[in-house]
Amino acid sequence: MHNIPFEAANFIDLNYMNVLYLFIVGFIGGLVSGFIGSGGAFVLTPGMMSLGVPGLVAVASNMCHKFPKALVGAIKRAKYGQVDVKLGLVFGVFAEAGVFYGAHIQEKIKASFGDAGSNLYVSVAFVVVLAVVGGLILRDAIKTYRSGNADAEEKLSSIAKWVQSVNIPGTMVYFKSLKAKVSLLFIVPLGFATGMLAATIAVGGFIGVPSMIYVLGAPSLMGSATELVVAFVMGLGGSFKYALHGLVDIRLAGIILAGSLFGIQLGAIGTTYVKPFVIKLVMGVIMVIVLFSRALMVPVYLSQLGLIETLTDTTVKILKNSSFAIMSFALLTGAFIVLQAMYKGRKAERAMEEKEVFENA
Amino acid sequence: MARQYGSMKKKPVVKMLVYGALSGLLYAALFWNQSAVTALFTRGTWYAALPIATAFAISFIHGGFTSYFWSVLGVEATRKSVRTRVVEEKHVDRERPQPQPRLRARL
Repeated sequence: MHNIPFEAANFIDLNYMNVLYLFIVGFIGGLVSGFIGSGGAFVLTPGMMSLGVPGLVAVASNMCHKFPKALVGAIKRAKYGQVDVKLGLVFGVFAEAGVFYGAHIQEKIKASFGDAGSNLYVSVAFVVVLAVVGGLILRDAIKTYRSGNADAEEKLSSIAKWVQSVNIPGTMVYFKSLKAKVSLLFIVPLGFATGMLAATIAVGGFIGVPSMIYVLGAPSLMGSATELVVAFVMGLGGSFKYALHGLVDIRLAGIILAGSLFGIQLGAIGTTYVKPFVIKLVMGVIMVIVLFSRALMVPVYLSQLGLIETLTDTTVKILKNSSFAIMSFALLTGAFIVLQAMYKGRKAERAMEEKEVFENA
Repeated sequence: MARQYGSMKKKPVVKMLVYGALSGLLYAALFWNQSAVTALFTRGTWYAALPIATAFAISFIHGGFTSYFWSVLGVEATRKSVRTRVVEEKHVDRERPQPQPRLRARL
């Protein structure tokens, strides 16, 4: 971050098609974020870059749209009693530290290995984290669905039971989402890792939400809602840092926000209609699909670093386009599951109410 | 019943229109003179507060508009979830009642 050039970047001219594209991607990203607490950013940054926005301006503008979106989502979900503000703020402070450290590591890698090295690091981080965490979440969601106990209250994982049983005097804090006291010493590394991932792949929630659910023991609904508070804290700090260097294109952030605020309200409303395992399902599906998207790019960067045979321009182009298409597909799939689950939930509720009226009559 | 309830419930049409108009004005101000806005907002130092403040303003005004927009369309949280809203449990460190030693001496 220290090497950011202090100058107004070359901001692109916006035409109607660009505006419409950013609005729609913003809406879908917002819908997913409102539901699972994160996501969307991983498509928005490359999406902006595909319009000709310089990389740093895309990252900065994306971050500047992220914190107000997270704020609106957090307020909406707090109305449904799903947000643990204390946990979100504590988690967010350590995540912010992780963002700064993650950015510092990125700089070092870029200075030593160039853009290709930095991109390879990002892709490997994507693939490893998404494979491990995404695989576990998806497996858990499918297991819950097959067990037929989808309506039952979520059970604490064995790790969460252990974490909640450890008592380290002077570090214990009570969190309402956990209904227990947990040592801050567990939250520090989790928050830090979330921030590091946010600085690396732009979506810290892929570690933040699962760690709140599986390690700390928060219910899925509360974990995903509390992540919005974490995203707000991280996004605000990051945006200010980029704004100091004149890198935020407020027009881009504004257009994306115009769409994403419609989406985040809808995603937040959607959480009240679904069973908790659907949150895990959406998150797991998105993570696993995105994993394939980034895996496709690994050979490109390896080739640029000279570690494998040089790929032809056509092959590189095909891989890049396929990667972006798969990433967009991941977001669309997530949005589809959210809307479908919401539709079914509303339908079931109406049927139940009509039945009640019939019985009372 | 659901439909009757929905029709009885007053929809926030006026609020939506007011917030929508304000949101339109905000975006118009932002895009009316784009080059001047971006030049001012990217000066760095104290000017960094401008994009942040604008983002907050959009979140409040446009966020309010989008919320009322879905309400007017009838897309709202399930009433079941509102009824079973998670109630914050106050955690109180209670001290265990200490057993009082009693002397049961018989004369």
